Amino acid sequence: MKNFIAGFVAGTLVLIFSTLIYLRLGLVDVRSGVPVPYWTARFLYTCTHASVARNAPKLQNPLPENDETLIAGGKLYLNDCVGCHGEPGKAPSDFGATFYPPAPQFPRVGTKYTEAQVFWAAKHGIRRTGMAAQGSSYSGPKLWSLAAFISRFPNLPPKVLEEIQQNPAK
Amino acid sequence: MKKLALGFVTAIIVLPIGCMAYFVLGFSEIRADAKPSTLETAILQSAVRASIRRSAAGILNPPPASDDAVIAGGKLYVLGCQGCHGDLGGAYQENYDLYPAPPQLPHFGTQYSEPELYWIVKNGVRMTGMSAYGPFYSEKELWALAAFLRRIDKLPPEMIEKIRPKKAGKNT
Repeated sequence: MKNFIAGFVAGTLVLIFSTLIYLRLGLVDVRSGVPVPYWTARFLYTCTHASVARNAPKLQNPLPENDETLIAGGKLYLNDCVGCHGEPGKAPSDFGATFYPPAPQFPRVGTKYTEAQVFWAAKHGIRRTGMAAQGSSYSGPKLWSLAAFISRFPNLPPKVLEEIQQNPAK
Repeated sequence: MKKLALGFVTAIIVLPIGCMAYFVLGFSEIRADAKPSTLETAILQSAVRASIRRSAAGILNPPPASDDAVIAGGKLYVLGCQGCHGDLGGAYQENYDLYPAPPQLPHFGTQYSEPELYWIVKNGVRMTGMSAYGPFYSEKELWALAAFLRRIDKLPPEMIEKIRPKKAGKNT
């Protein structure tokens, strides 16, 4: 048993030091504008989902569930999110693709997150990605309207899309 | 001896699986609005630095940049970079909305050489908010930016005035 523990400790130290040496020698590729390998992407998205699911409080959207809420969120989205996440009805964002991992193109793929999770992710941002915390820029109700809007992609009422594209916020 | 080897192999197998399970089960903190720990910063920053040194090693130093190139690079900075990296000539303010926090360049300057800066802007830095700008800037613009960034904390006021004329409104 003593020998087993000694071996275990040795293995642990070897792992830690070889990782540190690998990092220290600059052998990690840090380029951003390249495709994420399939399994890496699977792993990263799985971990992010799991962490959001575990940490985001299961809150109810306090705003009324109507077109007005969606329009308010949509205007915010058009103002501040389209640069990376893509505009409804347009080609995917070239800029969003230059991040690693790339910014998800909500208008095309929608999102698996619930409204409360979108709210939480927008408010706090996602660590080690290009997603910055928006909590210091936007109030709670604004972020809730945004969450309502984003979580309905790609099935937004055409009326809502028309309204936000014709009368964007200044 | 057999037990020793068995312990060693167990560690090599169990630890990586344990680490992956920790992440896959969602135990890792994911919020971006926090300050990274000193240990994490030390390990990851040195890894990034080493990787960039290695990747940019083959890029030759450009001829010394003219003032015009530095000014042109500064204008690109004002348009495209200062939202995250700090206002040129503005007050120093740390930005903890992104994780890791973007370096406040006008205040601290940079340790990277011009070829390294050129490489960083062109290729971006993985798993940070720094995207790759290679598709959006010409070679000339990338080098101008690199020349400007190299000097960003040591610019004489008259250069800053040329890059960002005070009369042209409060913000661009």
